[in-house]
Amino acid sequence: MALAETAIGEASSVQALAEVRAGFLGKKGSVSAVLRTIGGLSGEERAAVGQAANQAKERIEAWAAARKRALESADRDREISEYKLDVTLPGHAPPRGHLHPTSQIEREMCAFFAELGYGIEDGPEVETDWNNFSGLNFPEDHPARDLQDTFFVPGGNVLRTHTSNVQIRAMTGRKPPFRFISPGRVYRHDLDGTHYPMFHQIEAVCVDEHVTFADLKGTLFAFARHLFGESTEMRFRAHFFPFTEPSAEIDISWGGRWLEWGGCGMIHPQVLLNCGIDPERYQGFAFGMGIDRTAMIRWDIPNIQLFFDGDVRTAEQF
Amino acid sequence: MKVPLGWLAEWIPLPDRQTLEERLTVGGLEIEEVIETGPDLSAIRVGEVLERQAHPDADRLSVCRVDLGDGEPLEIVCGAPNVEAGQRVAVATHGVVLPGGLKIKRSKIRGVKSHGMICSEIELGLGEGKDGILVLDPEAPVGAPLSQVLPTGETVLDVEITPNRGDWVSMLGMAREVQTHFGGELTLPPCEPEESDSDAASEIAIQIDDRGGCHRYVGRILRGVKIGPSPEWLQQRLEAAGLRSVNNVVDATNLVMLEFGQPLHAFDLDKLRGGVVTVRAAKDGEKILSLDGEDRELRREDLVIADQQGAIAIAGVMGGAESEVDDTSTNLLLESAHFEPSRVRRTAKRLALRSDASYRFERGVDPAGQDRAADRAARLIQELAGGQVSRGRAVATGEPAPGTETIDLDPTRVNRLLGTSLSADEVAALLARVDIPCDINGDRLRCRPPSWRNDLHLQVDLIEEVARVFGYDCIEPTLQTAPLRSIELAPRRRIREDVRTALAGAGLTEIMTFSGCPPEDDDALRLASDDSRREHVALLNPIQAGDSVLRTHLLPSVLRAVRGNRARQVDRIAVFEVSRVFHGGTDRPDAWQEREPLQAVAAISESGAEDLWSSASVPPFFRAKGFGERMLADLGRTPEFRAGSDEPFLHPGGAGEFFVRGRRVACVGELHPETAAHFEIDAPTAVLVVDLDALDGLGAETPRYQEVSRHPRIRRDLALLVDAGTPAGELLQAVRKKAGASLLSVHLFDRYEGRGVPEGKLSLAFRMIFQRTDRTLTDTEVAEATEKVVQNLAKRFGAELR
Repeated sequence: MALAETAIGEASSVQALAEVRAGFLGKKGSVSAVLRTIGGLSGEERAAVGQAANQAKERIEAWAAARKRALESADRDREISEYKLDVTLPGHAPPRGHLHPTSQIEREMCAFFAELGYGIEDGPEVETDWNNFSGLNFPEDHPARDLQDTFFVPGGNVLRTHTSNVQIRAMTGRKPPFRFISPGRVYRHDLDGTHYPMFHQIEAVCVDEHVTFADLKGTLFAFARHLFGESTEMRFRAHFFPFTEPSAEIDISWGGRWLEWGGCGMIHPQVLLNCGIDPERYQGFAFGMGIDRTAMIRWDIPNIQLFFDGDVRTAEQF
Repeated sequence: MKVPLGWLAEWIPLPDRQTLEERLTVGGLEIEEVIETGPDLSAIRVGEVLERQAHPDADRLSVCRVDLGDGEPLEIVCGAPNVEAGQRVAVATHGVVLPGGLKIKRSKIRGVKSHGMICSEIELGLGEGKDGILVLDPEAPVGAPLSQVLPTGETVLDVEITPNRGDWVSMLGMAREVQTHFGGELTLPPCEPEESDSDAASEIAIQIDDRGGCHRYVGRILRGVKIGPSPEWLQQRLEAAGLRSVNNVVDATNLVMLEFGQPLHAFDLDKLRGGVVTVRAAKDGEKILSLDGEDRELRREDLVIADQQGAIAIAGVMGGAESEVDDTSTNLLLESAHFEPSRVRRTAKRLALRSDASYRFERGVDPAGQDRAADRAARLIQELAGGQVSRGRAVATGEPAPGTETIDLDPTRVNRLLGTSLSADEVAALLARVDIPCDINGDRLRCRPPSWRNDLHLQVDLIEEVARVFGYDCIEPTLQTAPLRSIELAPRRRIREDVRTALAGAGLTEIMTFSGCPPEDDDALRLASDDSRREHVALLNPIQAGDSVLRTHLLPSVLRAVRGNRARQVDRIAVFEVSRVFHGGTDRPDAWQEREPLQAVAAISESGAEDLWSSASVPPFFRAKGFGERMLADLGRTPEFRAGSDEPFLHPGGAGEFFVRGRRVACVGELHPETAAHFEIDAPTAVLVVDLDALDGLGAETPRYQEVSRHPRIRRDLALLVDAGTPAGELLQAVRKKAGASLLSVHLFDRYEGRGVPEGKLSLAFRMIFQRTDRTLTDTEVAEATEKVVQNLAKRFGAELR
């Protein structure tokens, strides 16, 4: 038996082990040979020898099985240790697409306002003078009209200079309370190193009986901090817009400086009146800012013209 | 407007620069630029002339030893006759660039080394100056930068004036604003002229015919003035404020305009015909030669100042050349008037003639300020040009200017709008700081805005002033909690975002391009002459010569972007744009969404960059088609694809269309070679054009759960030989139709022509998957179904099994 145990222990491969095992247990093996002699023995002897032989057989089988597991495990370990995939080869994925930076920021803005319960309103880009100017309290023959360089189209219409045209459209015939945003494309007749005649704005409007300038500030703080980080500071500079009063321009703190971000104010009573809303009972705020401009600030994009030149190398960075 | 701070300080005490700038900015005066006038003298230093010796080789030169306070004195050759030992002088050493641009270098002058230059006023850019070098105060610290001892210029704030604040466009207005924030006493310049016995009103008659156009006209008469150049201080002051010096009389009127915001005009009294000056509407076609030398044709709505022969000035805009003050003028009529702002604006705008005067009149000048300005100008001219000022003013009045009314302000209204809790007294105190006195009248404040505040009419106008003076930053932010009715989403918003998501998600890059385009794009797209897409909305004032209309199709812009990216050597181009296009034409629909349809255009143009893992490059057409299929699947719309398209910009041999429930929603194709050539696109390029409005109208299908099978699948592959040119899509359709209800799916996995396939033939290999949900299929059933398919394909397409 010791011989068997040693031989099994020394078998160095699964195949060698099979041979060793066959040497003991195979048809021509020594244990088999012992068992073959049983026929010539007496009953008692037969029982004793048979039992011993069977025990030996079982033990050898167990040793062989254990040895086999050990050898297989070693083989597997060797295979595993020899296997070497060049994992530094590039992964295979479909090419990644990119939303335009403006689209990305616009979505983020819309998602923020959806959480605050703002609807989304829309309006045309070719707009009437009333919806773009007069209804918003830009008197004719008033220098306020010079504030926005305007593209004119036939029929007395204009390319909207701001998304505030949606204010007039959405508020007319609607009963407060309501709040909505209007993101979209706007046009100014201005093209130089830092201007492009087209850009995107988002405007927010909230009207009820007790919406205050303090609420306007609170909403803007929440919005700015959502976009630019919790430590963002804001500054409100008195300004003039025909459709709000009081009006302010909004600066945010960015890189240690104040950067102009947008405009805001309490909706001018005349604008509410123009939309059929009683300004004695209702009041509200409106604010607006450039979507592209927000992307420029956030991602250090130096020039708005990069948004509209179709160069994929810009969009593919975001 | 340019505000020289030294000048402003003569009107009101100023705090330090930073505080001033911050407060003005927050108060609504945006500071666009801070300008330092005068040359930069910080590199030039104060030196002491220790010794002066005659130059050995030149009579006019001297050799000086100059101490700059840092050790070894420098030897400098100087040509000025007035240089003396002991003087403190301005020295530019080696490397310094003088304000005029001259760079100082060490040099040898007639054999003597010179290490710098002792500067004259002219060399320092300090005006005309005297001859010779500039001699400084003997106390000037040796070695100090010259800019410290010689203030040369002013700090000028260039502020942006919002159009509602005409009263700010003057030194007086700025001084008042400073007073609002910082208090202090206003100091006005002296205004009273010394008058002669002659009575102005008897020397000239003023008559206002257009009483709505001119509210008040004040004339002052001066006699015996001597026209000449203005003194230096006046020239500098005008220059700092951005105006050019003309002569002492014109400069005086301009200075008073800058001081008080009241535009003035001086006529040469002797050039006026008849003793009457009339303010009247122009006659249609009336001509005037304006001061800038242009012949102007006027219209009835313009307002003019006229003598008995005709117009002598365009009221509030510009004077006429005929009555201009020139070097020979001695007697003057000074005009100080108040014209209707909208009339001035309309004329100035129509004539494209914006002047300092019209700028101020448009914004509204103080209707109570004419007399003072006329007096001040008369006094100033007298000081500068001599002569006698006739006694009194010749005055005419039209309809009174819409004045400032008393406004009742409810203090609770202030708090309700601002979210503050100010008391009535606090509100009154804040308003007092902007010169609005208030009486408490019950629970209201009776507020009386001053004459110069033409922007205050409503309660809310006063509330804005309260907020402005109180400080926006002092209002505590809160978040409103208005109740919600419902949240509405603008129409087409969802489809637009879904298409964006789908296309970007499929690997395309989004671009955005300008909405305008040249009309020639229609020809590049090969649009038929009666194609409605040739009806554009025109831009009346295009900004780039080419882009004179709004686009009716995105494709040209997208193709230009493709070309641009190719030019920038981007080799994998897969881009899209989602945007509105604009339909012009006469019978435009009322709904704006129909006039501004939403479109998406994708373009795929790749020069077959092969990937490590997939060697086959997919032709652009099939990528474009695949993007279309993927997008429609993402959107939950099941499309039917039909070969061919009548879109003229697509290649007739490589185009197709997607239909959803019978409606065309997209077309896809390779570019027509002519269109490609027009946009200079030389690589195979395919495009996908999506009609988002059509898609939106169709709505998404709601998926319903289909039972998944637990029984095994059976796979059968068929390789068939068909005639080349047989549409594979039709074969697939036929398979689907004939294979029976047990067919789960079929797809084409190989297409081959060439070696091993007979000439004119094509090998197509399909894989069919059979599976039932109710039971396991038998081989026989599948074999029967397959056989049916094979027979049908043989009959319809002449397909043979390979």
